[in-house]
Amino acid sequence: MSNQTETLFRALSDAVVGMDEDQTRQLSIQAVDHGIDALAAIEHGLVDGMNRAGKFFETEEYFIPELLLCSDAMYAGLDILRPHLKHAENQIRHKIVIGVVEGVTHDIGKNLVKIMLEASGFEIVDLGRDIPPQRFVDEAVKAQASVIALSTLMTTTMDGMAEVIKLLQKANVRERFKVIVGGGPISQSFANRIGADGYAAGAPAAVKLVKQLIGVAA
Amino acid sequence: MSRDRLTPIERFAAYQRGEPVDRLPCVPIVGNTAARVLGIKVSEFRGNGPLIAEAQVAAYRRFGYDVIRIFTDLYTQAEAMGAKVHYPDDETAYLAAPAIASVEEIASLQPANPHQDGNLPQHLEAMKLAFQAVGKEVPVTGALTGPFTTASFLIGTENLVRLTLKNPAAVHQLCEVAYQSALVYAGAILDTGCTPSLTDAMCSTTVISPRQFKEFGQPYLKRLVDFIHGRGRAVTLHICGKTGPIWEAMADTGADCLSIDNAADLKAAKVKVGQRVRLMGNVPPAEIMLQGAPAQVRAAVRACVRKAYDNPKGLIVASGCSLPVETPFANIDAMLDAVREIAWPVNANELETELTA
Repeated sequence: MSNQTETLFRALSDAVVGMDEDQTRQLSIQAVDHGIDALAAIEHGLVDGMNRAGKFFETEEYFIPELLLCSDAMYAGLDILRPHLKHAENQIRHKIVIGVVEGVTHDIGKNLVKIMLEASGFEIVDLGRDIPPQRFVDEAVKAQASVIALSTLMTTTMDGMAEVIKLLQKANVRERFKVIVGGGPISQSFANRIGADGYAAGAPAAVKLVKQLIGVAA
Repeated sequence: MSRDRLTPIERFAAYQRGEPVDRLPCVPIVGNTAARVLGIKVSEFRGNGPLIAEAQVAAYRRFGYDVIRIFTDLYTQAEAMGAKVHYPDDETAYLAAPAIASVEEIASLQPANPHQDGNLPQHLEAMKLAFQAVGKEVPVTGALTGPFTTASFLIGTENLVRLTLKNPAAVHQLCEVAYQSALVYAGAILDTGCTPSLTDAMCSTTVISPRQFKEFGQPYLKRLVDFIHGRGRAVTLHICGKTGPIWEAMADTGADCLSIDNAADLKAAKVKVGQRVRLMGNVPPAEIMLQGAPAQVRAAVRACVRKAYDNPKGLIVASGCSLPVETPFANIDAMLDAVREIAWPVNANELETELTA
């Protein structure tokens, strides 16, 4: 890697951490113009920046507003770089179906998890919010997903998570997916009780959990 | 277990003066669970002040706790300003759509008229009726959502938190109109005889930074607290989730009591702000009150008391947040019974030895 390329990656990463959407966009265009490998620019620039932002989030230097603006910058860069990915690079990624269970319309936590997973190279099928249990099952089967990620903010809707697992069992497809759960009222003990494969307390933790569950190097 | 010697109002008054009491004050924060006491659906509360009052009074009589809080959901004020709220058949309402979608529309927002808009008149009626029924024996409060949280329902949470960094002036404009609305509502709540009880969920450091709380949360809360103090009432402030880094700023609002979520530690709160404020908390509502057995509720109550019974400004044993609708009655009873069992004065030795036992 040339010094110049390295400098550009660092600048991309800094622009994402610095929540600078315009700068990220300009640097991404620059990378394309200079014929720099798009995948490398994403990984060593955008994703590196998002990972640094995730660390700041964990250490409480960044909060949700900062993380969202970092992700805005990352997505602005992705929009420019993605069309330049080689075809194969777009095919090999593990898919994750994510959504907020029925009865909940707050999705800020789910969105943060989605952002961090996307930054880590996973392909996300985002169902959105207020999703009935059966739809998680149908979409996961259809997408041939590796992971189903369920989020809730409300205790009243936690049963919906258990219902997803029951429906997977009923359809004889439980073994095809790792099911992870998270959100305000959720705990490890709840995850154990409903037979989920894992629980994560926050977005960066969810990335580690997914990588561990499907055996992808961190 | 036998019922209590003192009424809640007698208990609070004696506790405040440092005189003997029968037990510590105890508040399982009962919201829509009150529907279960009457055997009705949660949606029946919508637009029905007398029914909300009847259920809340019945729940108080059933369990014998120390504060009634007229509350169905956090959206009442935002709804009265134009937000769309969805009312499921038998669960707590939720936000369907914010009142506005863009910064340009902020100027179109008006403070709500509490005697006319949304479901505010019905909530005020519930407060008035509950106060008339039992206000002489138990403090009756009316839920008042903080301006920053209402602002998040007016323009959408993600929108609002982005704006805190991109357009702080717009956030202040939103908070100001939400504050004006809350101020008029607070006055109307006081007119019913009830005391406003402040909740500002989105101010949690789970969402925004301490610096942002000081900029967008605290100033508006302080103005509301000052107003309520001006009418001669003490104020409780609840913020959900993590709050450790903002306890001092919360106390700086002038609130007399901080209600601490189970995501934060009562002992640490005592050390940091216990000289300035009463503490209220923090038995986990979901993991213990909803899903636990009475024995776990008892253990959780004893852990709270062990951590903060000696808080200089006092302790109210409470749930860390509003109870889930389906919280078993046995667990609410167990919470009160655990506090009765500990009694007063608290035998610290007994609680400490449990740790090593």
